[in-house]
Order: sequence, then structure tokens, then C-alpha cells
Amino acid sequence: MAESEEEVDVLVQRVVKDISNAFKRNPNIDEIGVIPCPEARYNRSPIVLVENKLGVESWCIKFLLPYVHNKLLLYRQRKHWLDREALVDITSTLLLLNPDFTTAWNVRKELLQCGALVPEKDLYLGKLALTKFPKSPETWIHRRWVLQQVLQRFSAAACRSQQQHGEMESSELQRSPMLSDQLTRTLHEEMKVCCDAACRYPSNYNAWSHRIWVLQHMARGNIKFFHDELSSMRVWVSMHVSDHSGFHYRQFLLKELMTELSQAPTSSYASQNRPSTAPSSSPPHPSHTEANGELTGAEASGDEERQLNSATVLQLFHQELELCSDLIQSFPGHETLWSHRRHVFYLWHLWRRDLEHHCSCNGDAEAVYASSDSDLQAVGLQSHVNGQPGADEAMEVEGTSLPDPHDSKRLKRGVPLPDPPSLTSEYGFVSGVLDSCCNHEQKRFAAAYKKWIDTVVNQAR
Amino acid sequence: MLDKHADYIAAYGSKNDDYEYTLSEYLRMSGIYWGLTVMDLMGQLPRMNQQEIIDFITACQHECGGISASIGHDPHLLYTLSAIQILCLYDSTDAIDVDKVVEYIKGLQQEDGSFAGDKWGEIDTRFSFCAAAALALLGRMDAINVDKAVEFVLSCMNFDGGFGCRPGSESHAGQIYCCTGFLSLTGQLHQVNADLLGWWLCERQLLSGGLNGRPEKLPDVCYSWWVLASLKIIGKIHWIDKAKLRTFILACQDEETGGFADRPGDMVDPFHTLFGVAGLSLLGDKQIKPVNPVLCMPEDIMQRLNLKPELLNFFLPMLTLVLLHHRNLEIIFSHA
Ligand SMILES: [Zn+2]
Repeated sequence: MAESEEEVDVLVQRVVKDISNAFKRNPNIDEIGVIPCPEARYNRSPIVLVENKLGVESWCIKFLLPYVHNKLLLYRQRKHWLDREALVDITSTLLLLNPDFTTAWNVRKELLQCGALVPEKDLYLGKLALTKFPKSPETWIHRRWVLQQVLQRFSAAACRSQQQHGEMESSELQRSPMLSDQLTRTLHEEMKVCCDAACRYPSNYNAWSHRIWVLQHMARGNIKFFHDELSSMRVWVSMHVSDHSGFHYRQFLLKELMTELSQAPTSSYASQNRPSTAPSSSPPHPSHTEANGELTGAEASGDEERQLNSATVLQLFHQELELCSDLIQSFPGHETLWSHRRHVFYLWHLWRRDLEHHCSCNGDAEAVYASSDSDLQAVGLQSHVNGQPGADEAMEVEGTSLPDPHDSKRLKRGVPLPDPPSLTSEYGFVSGVLDSCCNHEQKRFAAAYKKWIDTVVNQAR
Repeated sequence: MLDKHADYIAAYGSKNDDYEYTLSEYLRMSGIYWGLTVMDLMGQLPRMNQQEIIDFITACQHECGGISASIGHDPHLLYTLSAIQILCLYDSTDAIDVDKVVEYIKGLQQEDGSFAGDKWGEIDTRFSFCAAAALALLGRMDAINVDKAVEFVLSCMNFDGGFGCRPGSESHAGQIYCCTGFLSLTGQLHQVNADLLGWWLCERQLLSGGLNGRPEKLPDVCYSWWVLASLKIIGKIHWIDKAKLRTFILACQDEETGGFADRPGDMVDPFHTLFGVAGLSLLGDKQIKPVNPVLCMPEDIMQRLNLKPELLNFFLPMLTLVLLHHRNLEIIFSHA
């Protein structure tokens, strides 16, 4: 084993080189890890590459980390010179071992700014670090910074081509296929990275709040994308019923969809294909290009659209509570599920309030909130019937298929919608659980839920 | 037992394992703050090397005014606050250029009122707290746009009364501590829905008596502090079972080596040692100095600085949930 300072020096430099060579040899490395191995083996590098997995033998880390760490700090204090290539190698070794070393990420930000690094490379390094340290706050923070750079480059590129084609509208440019393809790819890659980290560490706050950030910055107003996220997350949360962050993400999606759909007609699904009014300085949206033949322009009046959007919201909430009920019954005693129910029902309650308020202000005859205290007929659908929810179509709309206004034909034809969630149905659900379940925790959560809707929702009416 | 905890902290500083030291150097300044504060709470601050620490802090201040975790690291608001807290313990803020530090903090405020953690622009309600706490300790709160800062923090409030790191983010006990602490320092606690938030915070108590930071997470001494301090700030500390929490915290001590771990049986560290001892202080332990729930520093230091962060008083007739009007919920929702 290396002991003297010079020996350590030689050893470490070789290991740093081995790591950077491994990445050159295999650009598809997808996971890093430490191989438990207390002793060095002669004539063998401690860097092991097996298929797409990069391993570092544990014995060398106690030499490697302090060495690269101190090298970088000396550079930072201008006491030791390192060229760009050496900086790239040292910081990546360092960050794979200790990804919360903020200053090392900052060095890479500077390298990126001067063009010595490309954003993709840093996103890749972060992704690898997250395979071993899925919570690492500094890795997520650096990712957001890099993504901001990517977004700025996109909007700069959009501006340039706007100058070249003076007549073109900026909104058209934002849809320029090449740019939006790249952005869509980046967006999907981010979702994958978040999902991977969420699987590696339960209720991973940093991964999920990053995912929300990405949607807020890269998919703003993209209803289609939010819909897709909601349906693709359905399976995931069903397999992770304790993951409060995963369920919070669904609440975020629901709230965004609810807000977007309430702003009809300007931001409705149908109008997504009209020229957007977004200023050219804002990052281009990766817009979907599906034509919506049903509902463009004059065909759909504002009122009609509003009604369809209301129906969509109703279906979203109905399905969410159905999902929640199923999971609560299949997995008794999970606080996360009951907490999700509070959030969803509360969101629904608020949306209904807003609608009521809106309708009474506009005297909208078709959409008057003409309900008893428990029932909602306010979604403005002439077709609403008082059928049992069990028999209606939403039950068939299972799994991945979510309601969307493509169903407008069906809605126009007057197919019954599900019964809207109501206090009565919630009280019914709770007493069902209290009567039938013998799980102590489940009963406690059910009682707390009842108390919660009693005080927070019912008293506030 | 307190002597053992003090021995543990005193020894921790002199331990010099190259590898361990390197791994955590990026947060050194906060590490020193944890160690010194817990020593002070136990009345053992004189055992630490005051001059060495003050010189270290002076060396960590950068040209821009910001302070870094250690020498050669980049400045950051997190470590700027830790450094100021340490200097307040030692009554030595003159060891740094205070005007420059104030300029640094001021420069990190964004148009929407939020604060970036450093020049690279990451936004988080934690940084709003750091900025407000640092400026309050320096008596320079007027340097920033407080109204805007408050507006941003409130925009991170969720329907459950809690707060997340950014608008739309999940409620989290650590973020709640930062946000209620921030609202206390800015005198805006009336904007908190104390009943709803108190409810959420109380639900963090588990059968073991320990508190967790979010639903279905494990109990943890540090989260116990954040939840307990938040409850104290909003005047609801009597809503949890204090005796059970005390039992849980005491079970996290290592009776042989001293120090506290996150949970019974785990390895102790200075971070959890501070929050264990501070938690016991908030629960009324008479052997420990009273701790200020907002700044996590001894109350006698607050008195010297003439700082009285606002706390909601639970003797006042509080608005009960039963009386909660719909309008309030709408306000919450518009921030959610
Ligand atoms: Zn902890």
C-alpha cells in the first residue's frame, strides 16, 4: 500500500486518469458505486468497469478524496495551477465521491461558462452522482443551474432566428421543431432522472421538488404534458403508497391542471395550438403538436369550452378519489394516503367554490350551482344524472387513460358524468372504513380525516 | 450526562481524521456553530478555542462580503449566517467587515423578494431565513425589502398550513421552521394559520414520542427540534406530548461516548447533539440554558443583543378552527 507522500501522489494521479479513461472507454456508464475491498491488490487498478457500472475499490478512497479535495482548494486559493482538462477530471472524481462539495460544482459552472464543458456533460455527471447519492442537495441545485443555461441558450437561439426571419412570429419560432424537440428530450430525460432518484430513496424531497421546478420552468401551461405526467405517475404511486412526496407531486399536477382548465378559454386545451401570446424572452414551451379538430376557433364557444373543461376537472377529481379509495382499502394504515385524500378533497372543494362564485356572478343559466348541500350540478352539464357512481363510465376509464377534451363528442352527446365528490360521499367513505376495518391505525387515520373535513371544510362553507 | 456531552463535543473538534474532515469540510462553519452553541447551552463555551475560531472566520470572509464554510471554499448565505451566529456567541462581530456582509446579503435578494443562496442563483425559503436571521443579529434588517421578502415566503405556504422550499413544493418540517422563523423575525406571524399549521406539526409525533419531518418518515432528533421550535414560535407547543418527546430525545443519547444520534442506537454527531440538547431546553430542562426557538441560540445572547423575535402567545384567545372562516382558506389557497 502506498504510504509516502510521493507514492500517494503517483497513485492518485493514476486513479484520476483511470476514472476519466473509463468514461472515455464507455460513455454509457449509468451507475457508480464503491466496492468493499480493504486491501489494495498489486498491479490492479482500483477502478473497475463492469458493463455499464463503474466501481471504485474502497481502499483507495481514503487517499483519493483528501488528495483531489486539497488540490482543488489550492487551485481555488490561487496557490496551485490546474489546466482546464485537469480541472474537469479532478472535479468529476471529487463530485462522484462527495457530491455536496458546493465549490467543486461552482468550478464546473465556471468551466461551462467559458465553454470548456458542455451542459450535457454536467447533467450526465450529476445523474451518475445521484445513482449513489439520490438526495444530494448540491447535485440537484447544480442541475437546476445547468438547466437554466440550457433554457437561456434555447431562447437566445430563438431570438437569433427571429432576427433572421423578421416576419415570423416569435410564437411560431417557439414551436420550431428542432428547438422544441431538443427541449422535449431534455424534459423527458429530467423526468427519468427524478424517477430514478425517487426509486432509490423514499419520499425524496429534493428529487420531487426538482421535478416540480422542471415543470414550472420547462412545461409551463403545457396541459398535455401535465396530463401525461398524472397518468404515468398513477402506477408509480400505487407501488409506493408511503411516498408522501410522490403523492404531493400528484396534488401539484391536479392543482396546475385545475388552474389551467379554469382559465378557459384562453389557456384551454383546444387553444394550445393557437399562437401563444408569450413574450419571446420566455423559454419556449415544448408544445405538443396534436391537432384538435374538434374544438378549434369558432366551433367551440367560450361557454362550451368552459363546460368541457369543467367536466374534465370533475373527472380528474373523481378518478383521483377513486384511486385514493382503492389504495386506502388495499393498503390499510398509511398516513400518506389519508393525507393525499385531504389535499385532493380540499382542492376539489375549493374549485367548486370558485365555480359557484363564478356562476352566480355571471348568471350563467346553464351552470348555476343548483345544489343541495351535498350535490354538485354546477359543472354545467345538461347531461348530469343522479346515477350511482359505480355504474358510470369513469369506472371504465381506468389506469392510464385520463379524461381529456378529446372526449368532447361523448360529453356533447350527453353521456352521464360521475357523481361529483361531496361531503356526503366523504362521510360515507369514512364510516365505511370505520365499520368494516379492524386495523387500528386505519381507524385512527379515518377518524382524523373525518375531524379534518368537519373543521377545515365543513365549518368553512 | 451533560459533562459527557461536552467532552464529546470538545474532543470532536480536536479529532483530525483526514478523510472524515475532508468529507464534511464543505459545511465546516455550520459544524462549528453547532458545536459552540451546544457548548454554550451547557455552560461550557470557555472550553473552546475562541481566538482560533474568530481568526478562522475572518479568513473565510471574501471580497464580496460573503463568508464561506472554510478557507478556499466559495461564500454562501448558509455559512454567512453560521459565522454571524458564532460571532454573536463571542460578542465579536467586529472580526468581520459588517457593512460588506450586509451588502452581500442585500445583493442576493431577487425582484420577487426571494433570496438566492449565493451568486449562482438557487432560490429556497431556507435562504430567506438565513438572510433575515443574519440581518436581525446584525441589527440591519432595514437593508432589504422586507415586504417583498415576506410576500415570497407566504407564496410558499400550502393549504395544510405548512411551507415548502419554493411555491408549489411539499410542506416539510425544516422549511416550516425556516418560514415561521422568518415570519417571526419580520414580525409577520399573524400571517400564519397557526391552528392549521399546529395541527400538521402535531401529527408529526409518533408513538415513540419522537417527531418526524413529514408523514410516514422516521422520527429524528433534528426534526424533533424543527417541529418543536415551530410549535413554540406559533404558540402551540402544548399541543404535543412533551413527556414522551423528552423520553425519545433522551433515548438518543450515547451514554458511553456522550452526544446524541438521530435515533436510538445510531451513531452520534454534533448536529444531532445540538438539536437534542436544544430540544430538551425548549421542553423546560433546567440544567440547560433557555434556548431561543427562532435563532437556536441561548436566550442570554438574545438579551445582550436586545433581540426579541416575535412569538405567538398561546394565552391569547386564538381563533379556533371551528370559527375559521372560508375567507381564510381562500387566502391560504391563493398562496398554495
Ligand atoms: Zn436528523
